Amino acid sequence: MVDIQRKFKDVDWLLLLAPIALTAFGCVGISSSAPDGSFVKKQIFSLGIGLAIAIAIMFTDYRKIVMNIAPFFYAAVLILLVVVLVWGTQINGNKAWLRIAGFSLQPSEFAKAATILMLARHLAHQRQTSLSIKDMLIMAAIVMPPLILVYAEHDTGTTLTFGAILGTFYFLGGMRKVFLGIGVVAVAVGLVAVYPHLKRYQIERINVIIHPEEADPRGFGYQTIQSVIAVGSGGVLGKGIGHGTQGRLGFLPFAWTDFIAAVIAEETGLIGVLLMMVLYLVLIWRLIAVAKASRERSGSLIVMGFVGLIAFHILCNLGMVVALMPIMGIPLPLMSYGGTAVMAMFIGVGLALSVRMRRFVN
Amino acid sequence: MSSTNAREEGFNLELRVYLIQYLVLAVFIALGIRFYVLQVARHEDYQARAENNRIRDIPIPASRGAIFDRNENLLVDNASAFNVVVTPEDITNKEDTVNALVQNLDIDRGELLVELNDPLRPKSQPILVKQNASLADRAWVAAHELEHPEITIDQQPQRVYKYGKLAAHLLGYIGQVNPKQLENPEFKAAGYKSGDIVGQDGIEKKYDRELRGQDGMRRVIVDSRGMPKAELARIEPIKGQDIILTLDLDLQKVAEQQFYSKNETGAAVVLNPQNGEILAMVSVPSFDPNVFARNVVSTGSRKEVAAIVNDPSHPMYNKAIQGIYPTGSTWKILMATAALEEGTITLKNSRIVCGGGIQVGNRFVHCGKNHGMPDIHAAIVHSCDGYFYRLGLKMGVDIIHDWVTRFGMGQRTGVDLPGEVRGIIPSREWKKRVNPRDPVWKDFDTVLASIGQGSVAVPPIQLIRAEAGIVIGGEFHTPHLFKQAKETQLGAVKYYDDKPTEVKLSELTIETVDYGMWGVINEGGTASGVGFPREINAGGKTGTAQVIAKEKVRGKEHKDHSWFISFAPMHTDQKPEIGVVCITENGGWGASASAPKVKMIEAAYFSKKLGRPILPELVALKTQPKRETTRPATGAPAKPNADPKRRPGTP
Repeated sequence: MVDIQRKFKDVDWLLLLAPIALTAFGCVGISSSAPDGSFVKKQIFSLGIGLAIAIAIMFTDYRKIVMNIAPFFYAAVLILLVVVLVWGTQINGNKAWLRIAGFSLQPSEFAKAATILMLARHLAHQRQTSLSIKDMLIMAAIVMPPLILVYAEHDTGTTLTFGAILGTFYFLGGMRKVFLGIGVVAVAVGLVAVYPHLKRYQIERINVIIHPEEADPRGFGYQTIQSVIAVGSGGVLGKGIGHGTQGRLGFLPFAWTDFIAAVIAEETGLIGVLLMMVLYLVLIWRLIAVAKASRERSGSLIVMGFVGLIAFHILCNLGMVVALMPIMGIPLPLMSYGGTAVMAMFIGVGLALSVRMRRFVN
Repeated sequence: MSSTNAREEGFNLELRVYLIQYLVLAVFIALGIRFYVLQVARHEDYQARAENNRIRDIPIPASRGAIFDRNENLLVDNASAFNVVVTPEDITNKEDTVNALVQNLDIDRGELLVELNDPLRPKSQPILVKQNASLADRAWVAAHELEHPEITIDQQPQRVYKYGKLAAHLLGYIGQVNPKQLENPEFKAAGYKSGDIVGQDGIEKKYDRELRGQDGMRRVIVDSRGMPKAELARIEPIKGQDIILTLDLDLQKVAEQQFYSKNETGAAVVLNPQNGEILAMVSVPSFDPNVFARNVVSTGSRKEVAAIVNDPSHPMYNKAIQGIYPTGSTWKILMATAALEEGTITLKNSRIVCGGGIQVGNRFVHCGKNHGMPDIHAAIVHSCDGYFYRLGLKMGVDIIHDWVTRFGMGQRTGVDLPGEVRGIIPSREWKKRVNPRDPVWKDFDTVLASIGQGSVAVPPIQLIRAEAGIVIGGEFHTPHLFKQAKETQLGAVKYYDDKPTEVKLSELTIETVDYGMWGVINEGGTASGVGFPREINAGGKTGTAQVIAKEKVRGKEHKDHSWFISFAPMHTDQKPEIGVVCITENGGWGASASAPKVKMIEAAYFSKKLGRPILPELVALKTQPKRETTRPATGAPAKPNADPKRRPGTP
């Protein structure tokens, strides 16, 4: 074990401060749009727990976590996902929450972290330059149980996230170009095959993006249009914190979750948006730096798994806010209201800090 | 734990990490550009849309001014009504909304769609779809607030005509401004907009500017459900000016009752000849303007409106100013005045043979009887046609036309009511124009024109203006109903601006006519049997307007129209202070149907003036006969004489 002093010297402070700043930024938007102040308090409380988790993980050797703890964590998460399906609380059509002692826990958020760890664990010992079919099947087998359970919760966004995690690891693991090609074709065929079976609201959400001018401004196009109005009306400097009208007057339903970025854009303008994006880039850049610096594959893979997860969330969420992507219920990491998601993100941060701290230790 | 450097194995994780890094950067750049486009390039557009989203101007309709009679008895006022309104902006599914309204609130689909599809109407302006919502309607709206936030209940002033049918023709009625009116530049200039309630006839229309007031407005911030969250500004509505009419409610009741009690139709105008103030104006049958005030797009009231509009007895038609009738012998007053002024006859030498009629070419035109050789006084008193045939021939049509035109015949009086007609006063040019087969004016035409028959046809108001002008000495006042508009923030107090036309008439002429009319009632003349109270010194003139012979054959209801025109007091040292003209359609001889009505009206006027109670049966409008609900017994279709469209040469 390295001594504490040296560990502190090795802490990547930017990697720790960027997510804290993002969560704090999110709290500004939550306080502007959520119906009461308890949302911000809960978010700050979650940030505290998340930091504690991150620091605890930082002081733990990530390799132990990957090799010894990950399977148990994964198994526990799967059990929770089953429990949620049976006893879960339904919020906005998704049965994704477990109410424990006054707190809502969303096991699917932890499931993302557990899946990343399990995939990294599987790839840690890979010797080949590319993935074998057997590897790919095993990886798919790791992802499928949580994916199916989450899909059963009717949480389309999170289901897609598991697909994105798997895709990230296939890419990192060195999927053969043939499979990459097959994968692209399979996804394309899959989309075409799935499209007619999508529910009407899902089709409409896609159509809104393709033909915004034809969208029903009061119906399916409503959220997208209102979100774009919020963003656009913010201008360069914004309307001022607490002075956004779209979020405050309820034109953006549940703005504090999926549309938090629209609230930020409305109230703080392009300046705020750029600040937010810079913070995300700092976070991702530091994570990638950790991944590059790691002399050990499982460390790189864990961190890159989280990078893929965060990037996918940002792409989907901000894409939705600015009407480049259909609405699919993917929150903005760290900023959207949601305690479990914040904690899960800090698990990733903690793991990255742990990897960084041990970058010379091989 | 044993680990292996990825690079040593040829497993190029680093390259993939770089690829992901650049991919992330590309995504961020793309999102950044998109934010820039929305927040900088299109900022103004979205800013405007955000404002539209949340700020709404909700009109607060102004109450229309009340209308009073001359003694400040309230005739028309506003009551608060609960109305169902629909805000087009909040409609998510038009079909759903329309179905809900049609099925649950009994609203006419067609009318509703017309309103909803009106391109001129601002989307944020609520559409009034049902006035006087019942408790059940209101409960339905409240219960469906969530499904149909676009349907709301609004409390608004509603016009109330206190006496229903009474004086309906002159009060008029209100309704929503129609698209045709909106195209009118005058309406545009006055700032009328779609959905506004405006006067559509009568005083309501004529004095709409004074009555309408100025709508107020609430500028509110609304949430996404359209519910007001805060008020940014409020402009209070300003009530329209109250209007005081020259009308006398009691006389109006008496005058109307004269027709209703006998189940007769016709018209009457009661005025003060000295200033043109109309004290009563009757046109029977009438209609209830409250139906129009209630009417918007609910099926029930549409039916009521349709029943009025399509009634074959044309209850909306104001016969006092729009019905044209041959004047009959009432015309003789104009003839006598013209002849005396022109010098065709002189008072000392005014005897002309009656002869029981006159031979014109191969036709003999009868007089009622042979009056011998009456002077002008006797000719008026006994309404001698023979006398006036010959007098007419002596004067010639050009002189007759010239004089009656000076008295305002054949022209609009300028009464302050919309829709007045000009009537017809025949002349050589007129005949040439309307009768190309027989364009030349003949003596026979002059003979008929001399007793107000043939083609002479005017509305009652024109006749009374002309004769009132003569009996008071050559001052022709414009009949009017407007007395005063009370002051509001919007407008100062206003009075009627009376500008009489003067026609110089000699004392002697006036005295002769005056004495003649007095004689009709008081010296054994044509109306002496009617029983006018002696002390009121009323004078008058009977008239019998022939209904076209063909019509007469069809049924006995097509009797001649009965005229009576009267002024009081006459033949005293005072100028007459009341004038009444009355026409009873198919009433027969002048003295039989109309003179008794005029007597009652004048009796009521003087009773009131002397502070005596008016006989209760004269004003007992509540005991109106069956006419209220059933069709008139006579069932007469639109009279040809009463329909200006059927008469040639009518403007």
